[in-house]
Amino acid sequence: MSKISAPRSNREFVEACVRHGDAVRIKQEVDWENEAGAIVRRACELGAPAPFMESIKDYPGFSYFGAPLSTYRRMAISLGMDPESSLPEIGAEYLKRTNSEPIAPVVIDRKDAPCKENILKGTDVDLCKLPVPLVHDGDGGRYVGTWHAVVTKHPVRGDVNWGMYRQMMFDGRTMSGAVFPFSDLGKQLSEYYLPRGEAAPFATAIGLSPLAAMAACAPSPIPEPELVGMLSGEPARLVKCETNDLEVPADAEIIIEGVICPDYKVEEGPFGEYTGYRTSPRDFRVTFRVDCITYRNNATMTISNMGVPQDEGQLLRSFSLGLELEKLLRSQGIPITGVYMHPRSTHHMMIVGVKPTYSGIAQQIGQLAFGSKLGPWFHMVMVVDDQTDIYNWDEVYHAFCTRCHPENGIHIYRNTTGTPLYPFATPHERKYSIGSKVVFDCLWPVDWDKINDVPTLVSFKNVYPKDIQERVLSNWVAYGYPPVK
Amino acid sequence: MNQWEVFVMDMAELAEGKDLALSIRTLNTGRHKYTYKHVRCMVSADLDKHPDRLQVRMGRGQLSAARFSIQVIEEIRRLPAKYA
Repeated sequence: MSKISAPRSNREFVEACVRHGDAVRIKQEVDWENEAGAIVRRACELGAPAPFMESIKDYPGFSYFGAPLSTYRRMAISLGMDPESSLPEIGAEYLKRTNSEPIAPVVIDRKDAPCKENILKGTDVDLCKLPVPLVHDGDGGRYVGTWHAVVTKHPVRGDVNWGMYRQMMFDGRTMSGAVFPFSDLGKQLSEYYLPRGEAAPFATAIGLSPLAAMAACAPSPIPEPELVGMLSGEPARLVKCETNDLEVPADAEIIIEGVICPDYKVEEGPFGEYTGYRTSPRDFRVTFRVDCITYRNNATMTISNMGVPQDEGQLLRSFSLGLELEKLLRSQGIPITGVYMHPRSTHHMMIVGVKPTYSGIAQQIGQLAFGSKLGPWFHMVMVVDDQTDIYNWDEVYHAFCTRCHPENGIHIYRNTTGTPLYPFATPHERKYSIGSKVVFDCLWPVDWDKINDVPTLVSFKNVYPKDIQERVLSNWVAYGYPPVK
Repeated sequence: MNQWEVFVMDMAELAEGKDLALSIRTLNTGRHKYTYKHVRCMVSADLDKHPDRLQVRMGRGQLSAARFSIQVIEEIRRLPAKYA
């Protein structure tokens, strides 16, 4: 693999974003109660640079970094690419790196780990010593984990999992979180810990390098510590926790260690969610008891403020879900041209381009997508042909409105797995994570005669001879039009 | 006077004159604002009846116009001993 110069820590990432004009340093004091969240939310809605807030009310020495990956520019910077890189270029680079050889992490000595610069144990443990923000007014609490990784390990198989499970501060030593039953952690708890009534060790890492956060967010089958290595081109630096055997990113800003209490739940939520709503109500959810907190000097807490598009939850999740589905479909030999999930769909609609070489290909794609581990996170698959640019919503929308037969082209799957966060779902469906799915088949049927049955697309690039197109393009300004960018 | 807040799905959860078990969060200024306690308490729509104040939010965070006074009788420890 060629040398990659991606930011290795959140601090390097902040500096790189500031250098490129993709982050602003806010010197004036910001209130952890609503104000910081409101700044991040507005930055997301405007597509503005990420706010790096250097002075937090009540918390001298701490800072916030908000909306870390809510634009493709910042995603390119996180990968060490030119911020001007196009989305297909970023996607191709992600696929290239994640199809490379796994790179195992290294475990470094505790004394060399920046995240161990301050250690709170015993009666010193108090989450209120961290600048935990009230992200949205009306949230059920202050959220410790909005852009982070919850690190766990299967006690028998040894599988390591880093996942972004939101975590609310319940009191100084307790967090509660939303862990869906179909998630890796949810399955681990229901399969092993809950039947035994045993505590599950966890560690929450906050202020990760952007590629570690990307790995924690990605629904990839590759273990996250190796995935970070593949994305960054060098081994991830890990360090042992103080109170359990888990290994956490050594360069993270804050580490919270403890145990999950599988048979004891406390209230969590509501919280502004990636769908742009507060959908899931307050409820009793998974409890995290905190035994130890470690943090860097002048630690930075990362904040993702989920709401209407677009924030990093939507952008990064759409990005990684789309590319992981692309890998899956290619592994099955489906002749796809690409997969794209628009972040503004709040990662609910997958757009798949395919060369329609046989009947039923759209349903095959839908069944593979919905039947995979990725499936619970989206409920719509739109399949267009290889002549449609999947990144061009105008073309996709036109194909949908003109080629999707209202009876024959819409395929509905009932009683599937869903998430409690679907705004359209009934209260019963939300409570039991029941979903339903739909495939929009926007392909011309293969049994239609291509000359006599398939309509001809009437567009500049499709109906005119090449020489006419070139003449018109070369004379466009001479005709009196402004140049087309 | 302490300021507290509670989340309910239904205002009927705040029955007056009854010994209630609620998770309430402090609205007192400072670093511990918005942290919770699980308590036994009494509430009343009569703001002068009990020493502290309680405001209410519904299940998705909507602030209710209703205000209560509250008497915290005792803090309840719910955490199983094995996790303490």
